Amino acid sequence: MKSISLYEEGTSFVHDVDPITKLWYIPFAILIPIILPLFTVSFLLIGLSLALLLAAKVIRKTIPVFGFVFLILITVVLIQGMFKPENETVLFQIGPLTMYKEGLLFALTITLRVINIIGAFMILVLTTKPSDLVEALVRKGMSPRIGYVVVSVFQIIPEMMATMSTITDAQRARGMETEGKLLVRIKAFLPLLGPVVLGSLINTKERAMALEVRGFNSQAPKTFLYEEKTYQFSKILQMGMLLLTVAAVVWRIFL
Amino acid sequence: MKKQSMWSLRLSTAALVLIPVAVGVNYIGKLLAALLKLPLWLDSIGTVLAAMLGGPIVGALAGAINNIIYGFTDPISFVYAITSVAIGLAVGILFYKGFITSWGKAVVAGLIIGLVATVVSTPINIGFWGGTTGNIWGDALYTFVLAKTDSTWLASLLDEIVVDIPDKIVVVLVSYGIFRGLPQNVIQLYTNNEKIETLD
Repeated sequence: MKSISLYEEGTSFVHDVDPITKLWYIPFAILIPIILPLFTVSFLLIGLSLALLLAAKVIRKTIPVFGFVFLILITVVLIQGMFKPENETVLFQIGPLTMYKEGLLFALTITLRVINIIGAFMILVLTTKPSDLVEALVRKGMSPRIGYVVVSVFQIIPEMMATMSTITDAQRARGMETEGKLLVRIKAFLPLLGPVVLGSLINTKERAMALEVRGFNSQAPKTFLYEEKTYQFSKILQMGMLLLTVAAVVWRIFL
Repeated sequence: MKKQSMWSLRLSTAALVLIPVAVGVNYIGKLLAALLKLPLWLDSIGTVLAAMLGGPIVGALAGAINNIIYGFTDPISFVYAITSVAIGLAVGILFYKGFITSWGKAVVAGLIIGLVATVVSTPINIGFWGGTTGNIWGDALYTFVLAKTDSTWLASLLDEIVVDIPDKIVVVLVSYGIFRGLPQNVIQLYTNNEKIETLD
């Protein structure tokens, strides 16, 4: 069964940073360019994120994600470059198409913002095992019941995908067509989806009973199966980000 | 035999177990839509079903957790978690008020939910992408409206509407169909009235 998370195991120092610190890095990376709206600041943060991804040796896994994002960003650049209402200064012309400076600058802002946010998320997603993140959050006070829900998604999806491929094979064996005209494909949707969904919903009853029997609703304090991992530099890194944010605010107000 | 309030935060085990299944159903719906090359997303069937069975709180939770987990395969979806929460809440409220009781009403409900999703998504689209959605038909309309009216907001709203409303109508219809096909004992699991079942 294939895992749906993008997490890649590794031994770099990025992998060894506390999941909570990596979580804090996301609002940090989003807030700083909002406080200091300069292209240099955005470039610096993107550079930092990319450097961390390189150091963690996971940069290759970011390519499909960035590839998809770039596809959308190209339409943003084209549409804003040509049609943004504030467009005035003509930058260059290709055939009948005119690109304007204001629209392209706006598109650059959006591109930097998107790459920055995605980069920050990628650090968390690619170097943190989902169950480690959930465990860290539960230790910080998140409800263990919600923690169970999140972790179990990662188990249920591969299970449901396996069921779906069984059902697809069965329906095809009965002669159902899944390729061809749009109408044919629309008609195939329900017979493929229906059995998986009905089956999974009926299974929830058993799952709920199994959990109840094991004291899922018990009010007693929960213990952990694994010992708490110790991470170095968590406090220093978190304080550092906080100080930099405060410094950015101060800089914005006084300079 | 009063029904528990639909806003109750005391979630039963059955309701909690419903959430991962809802996320899985969303995932499978999206996968099938891509596999059959359908022109819609169909990635919120699970959220809608969870809201129908468990109420607005479970629907909203399913929506939020859904997008957070999708975020682990595609970080953009983190940003749209608010839309999923709104969809879950809207379906839960409509269903608990007893609005979705026939196919015709399900279409109207899909329309309402599509509008809710549009209203919530448009500011995100504008803040994040400058107004476009990445959908070819929607973006073509965006360009056309922007060129005609100079209003980014109107263009972006229409861009989202043409994609969202047909999608949500189909999603609510499919979910309603599945809901009607569910055995009584599964629906009973979530109705939360303190009725005691007998074995005969």
